[in-house]
Amino acid sequence: MLNRRNALGLLSALSVGLTVRAQAASAAEAASSFVKTTGDRLVAVVNGAGSLDARRKALMPIIDSTVDVQGVARFCLGRFWRSATAEQQQQYTQLFHGVLVGNIAVKLGDYRGVKFTLGRAQDRDDGELVSTVIERPNNPPATVQWLIANAATDPKIVDVVAEGTSLRVTQREDYASFLTHNNNSIAALIDAMRKQVSENS
Amino acid sequence: MPPAPRLRLTLAAGLLLLGPLLGCATPPPASDPDAVADFKETNDPLEPTNRVMYAINNGLDTVILHPVAVAYRKVVPEPVRHGVHNVLSNLGTPVQLGNDVLEAKSRRAGDTTMRFLINTTIGVVGIFDVAKELGYPNHDNDFGTTLALWGVPEGPFLFLPVLGPSDPRDAIGHGVDIAGDPFTWVGQGAAVTALDWSRYAMTAVDERERVLDAIDSIKKTALDPYATFRSLYRQHRKAQIRAARDDNRATIPIWFPQSQPASSGKD
Repeated sequence: MLNRRNALGLLSALSVGLTVRAQAASAAEAASSFVKTTGDRLVAVVNGAGSLDARRKALMPIIDSTVDVQGVARFCLGRFWRSATAEQQQQYTQLFHGVLVGNIAVKLGDYRGVKFTLGRAQDRDDGELVSTVIERPNNPPATVQWLIANAATDPKIVDVVAEGTSLRVTQREDYASFLTHNNNSIAALIDAMRKQVSENS
Repeated sequence: MPPAPRLRLTLAAGLLLLGPLLGCATPPPASDPDAVADFKETNDPLEPTNRVMYAINNGLDTVILHPVAVAYRKVVPEPVRHGVHNVLSNLGTPVQLGNDVLEAKSRRAGDTTMRFLINTTIGVVGIFDVAKELGYPNHDNDFGTTLALWGVPEGPFLFLPVLGPSDPRDAIGHGVDIAGDPFTWVGQGAAVTALDWSRYAMTAVDERERVLDAIDSIKKTALDPYATFRSLYRQHRKAQIRAARDDNRATIPIWFPQSQPASSGKD
């Protein structure tokens, strides 16, 4: 028999369930609109007037305000983060920012006429995954997914998944392999990154 | 019989046998459990050999395939390249269909069949992808994926000369796909041989041209390009396998009352 207490319990469980679903839906919506706005800003800069250098500079503030650089940097160092000194962690994070901006500039290249279409968003444990299709001249259309953390409150890009390959996972394996072949020396990694940043700018 | 595919089969088989003899990576000491866990996860016990193969491939790519792909992009306009890509993709449909069936993916098999029928005829030997517009989208499939869905593990990472990043499962899958391709065995004589070779050469150039920018940017930005390609290859394969595994669209006979899915059936 369904007594009053059970009924109340059921009702509250139902309402909690509904709220959670509603929150998930609004998080997905918030993530989608965040990706749309950010994508439009990026495309406007890439397709805009000005030299490659000027456009690269214009990308910087967008990246700073939309990417969780600190979080991604930490993720990419993986287990080596713990073995780094506080000073190394700080140097590394700073250089990572420079490398990231340089890499994005290389990836976007000197393209004009980049187009992007927003797809559906799906809920994941670590955030909202928003799908887009990016078309660049001379290249086949690419499915790119954006992983957005804290979509409802303070949305930040934490990963970009291109054709099923996660940028941060790939970067972490690149660093891990470099470190394994350099006696796990974080100083060596920092040197290599410094060189990369100075070559790119 | 055309020698090209057979040669590739022998090459792949020979390398599989030869690989383990050349050199193995030294596992980290057991006193460092994190490093041991990393080593296991990387699962690349033949790394020294693989790196040599990578260096050879990279060298060959720099002097042959890369310049050819750049020239191809420069000389041949985009719509033509797109058509060439579609023709090559259409030639791959028999193998694709075989794998769809072996994986028991009825809707994918239906898509592939309709794509072949429509694109070969209305699409003029596959130049135009008309089927896609009519609601039969393309998908990736190969025997490596089939093996994965059958539960065969991928095994350690392999870098094969000419063929590039792979693993035992995909290397065997590649061999089976070539052996199971009707075009491998159809016809004989110089003309057929020439056609077969041109198909392989064109496939190589087409595939290389499509990833020109991506590979250039990886080589420019990675600290260890070999490790980056290894990671990308595995992630990409996992995504393809996941896509095949998750594609469980129902097959409803046309005479049966059609249920209306939540999203509209057309896509």
